[in-house]
Amino acid sequence: MPHADSPPVFHATGLAKKYGRRGKQALVDVNLTIPAGRVIGLVGPNGAGKSTLLHLACGLIEPTAGSLTVLGSRPAANAAHLARVGFVAQNTPVYGSFSVAEHLTLGAKMNPGWDQALAERRVRQVGLNPGQRAGHLSGGQRAQLALTIAAAKRPELLIFDEPAAALDPLARKGFLRNLMDFVRELGASAVLSSHLLDDIEQVCDYLIVLCDSRVQVAGDVRALLTGHARMTAPRGGLDRLPPGVEVIRVENRGHHSHAVIRTGATSGPLPHPVEPVSLEELVLAYMSRAAGMGTGAGADVETEAWETQR
Amino acid sequence: MMWLSWRQFRVQALTGAVALAVIVAYLVYLGTDVREGYAVFQANCHGVADCAQAKAQFRATYENTLLFLAAGLALVPAVLGTFWGAPLIARELEGNTHTLAWNQSVTRPRWLLTKVLVVGLAAMLLTGVAGAMLTWAAAPFDEVVKNQFSTFVFGARYLAPIGYAALAFTLGTLAGLLLRRTLPAMALTLVGFIAFQFFFANVVRPSLVPAEHATLPMTAEAINEAQNLGSITGGSVINGVRIPAAPDAWIAETSPLRTPDGRTIDGGKFGACINNPPKTGASGTFGDAAVCLAKYNLHVDVSYQPTSRYWTFQVLETVVYLALSGVLLAFSLVRIRRRVMS
Repeated sequence: MPHADSPPVFHATGLAKKYGRRGKQALVDVNLTIPAGRVIGLVGPNGAGKSTLLHLACGLIEPTAGSLTVLGSRPAANAAHLARVGFVAQNTPVYGSFSVAEHLTLGAKMNPGWDQALAERRVRQVGLNPGQRAGHLSGGQRAQLALTIAAAKRPELLIFDEPAAALDPLARKGFLRNLMDFVRELGASAVLSSHLLDDIEQVCDYLIVLCDSRVQVAGDVRALLTGHARMTAPRGGLDRLPPGVEVIRVENRGHHSHAVIRTGATSGPLPHPVEPVSLEELVLAYMSRAAGMGTGAGADVETEAWETQR
Repeated sequence: MMWLSWRQFRVQALTGAVALAVIVAYLVYLGTDVREGYAVFQANCHGVADCAQAKAQFRATYENTLLFLAAGLALVPAVLGTFWGAPLIARELEGNTHTLAWNQSVTRPRWLLTKVLVVGLAAMLLTGVAGAMLTWAAAPFDEVVKNQFSTFVFGARYLAPIGYAALAFTLGTLAGLLLRRTLPAMALTLVGFIAFQFFFANVVRPSLVPAEHATLPMTAEAINEAQNLGSITGGSVINGVRIPAAPDAWIAETSPLRTPDGRTIDGGKFGACINNPPKTGASGTFGDAAVCLAKYNLHVDVSYQPTSRYWTFQVLETVVYLALSGVLLAFSLVRIRRRVMS
């Protein structure tokens, strides 16, 4: 079980990643410290750098600059550290010619801390046939299998890269439920990336918004919600706000401006009426700001623009 | 990790075992046949003329088959490198399954090393057994014909095939790791390895050990013992000469025909002797042309390797190939640890 004094799950300073010499800058100046014991959601549009950050975290790639420690040491530093982190890659790859049972054997042979009883129980619970070839599994079943392999080695941290992206809503729901069961049973921390805020909202208590290769905002979900608000002011009325209040995004409708603001530490009176902001609004506000569309039209239009940017 | 390597390899291993069984069965049959032919040759080997004819017949019966088999054995390492080595890593990278394998509690270098050792040693074993069987089958023929230094034959006997298998396999593995795609890696391995084999056999092998040098006077008899005279391009060359003092030595290099002052014989004179020699009624392979050329008091300078060095060459070549494989493997291990998916 994680303790208050356990090393942070993630500690990144000045972390950057560039693919190739003239390639794309996938991550720029990421500074993050995330305590243990959280379920962390990593949201952002496709191509924002989510996979890059997670691949760095499990040591599949190395940073171009800066440093990253996961559970207190360099990612994939040695076999012992590999045993502490479970990773499920995008599209949940498995060996097509192996049966489900053979995948469990693979896990048992390659992990000293393997929990065969847990693995078998989970496989039964999600209704996988042990004799079935993994190549013939549905996307949802394959995801469940990959999750079981990652979890039955009893890691302290589970990392999922867009695990539910290719799943239908029902399979996605089943997967996320199973994931949360594992996290509770193992007492593990988990990181979960998605471009669907819905998934994140269901399971995560910590949020990182990644856009345009940069971390836009990161923090405890509840703290983020109390630290932000929606303000409605007459047009032009947002110019005179107390210091410490930051406007994330403004949307003009008729004679009024609707703004998502970060109230920060200011507890002083605000000049205009505010109401609580939803997590979706908050995330969209940061995404829109990163896209340079702070005063655009509807939020839906903007997210669509995000999808087509890639 | 052994379990995973074996589980992923078992279908290929079975295919390889079946292929090897077929090869061994055929070579046992051929070896028996060659021994029967050898017995016939010995039975007919009475007197110089009869013996030469029996030898020629024995040679003619098996030469093409054995040469074909030597060439076939030369392809085995290339094929194993292509079909076992190149996909070893590339297929994982293509199917993204490496992300599954690399996130178990086994470091990437150990994962790679185990896979390479399991499959690579199997490739060396398969090639080695096929090579040993061919060596056995051809033993009586080799004893009579003494052609053990010829390019294909040398590479298809004793130790050499094992070294080839090791290099082809590690080359395939590295190509797969660097190119990250199975098909290009397979193509590169096949072409690259075969090209290297030609390069090594023709350029490196002759100078593995400093050659001996000799000057051979080209009398009419000496010319008639050669295999061919002249070339399509009209050069004043002679090929397949023998050194009287070391008749089975490997002639690595033969100079053109030279006059006593060390210069190459004039092309016109050479051509005249070849195309239009004065009739003398001489016999021999080249007849009148040999007599005509002998009048110029010609010689050739050769560099050669005596037969006593055969095992030095076998061991040296195998060691060089194994060392190169070790270098490629070490590079793969460093590469997979350092920068994998850049």
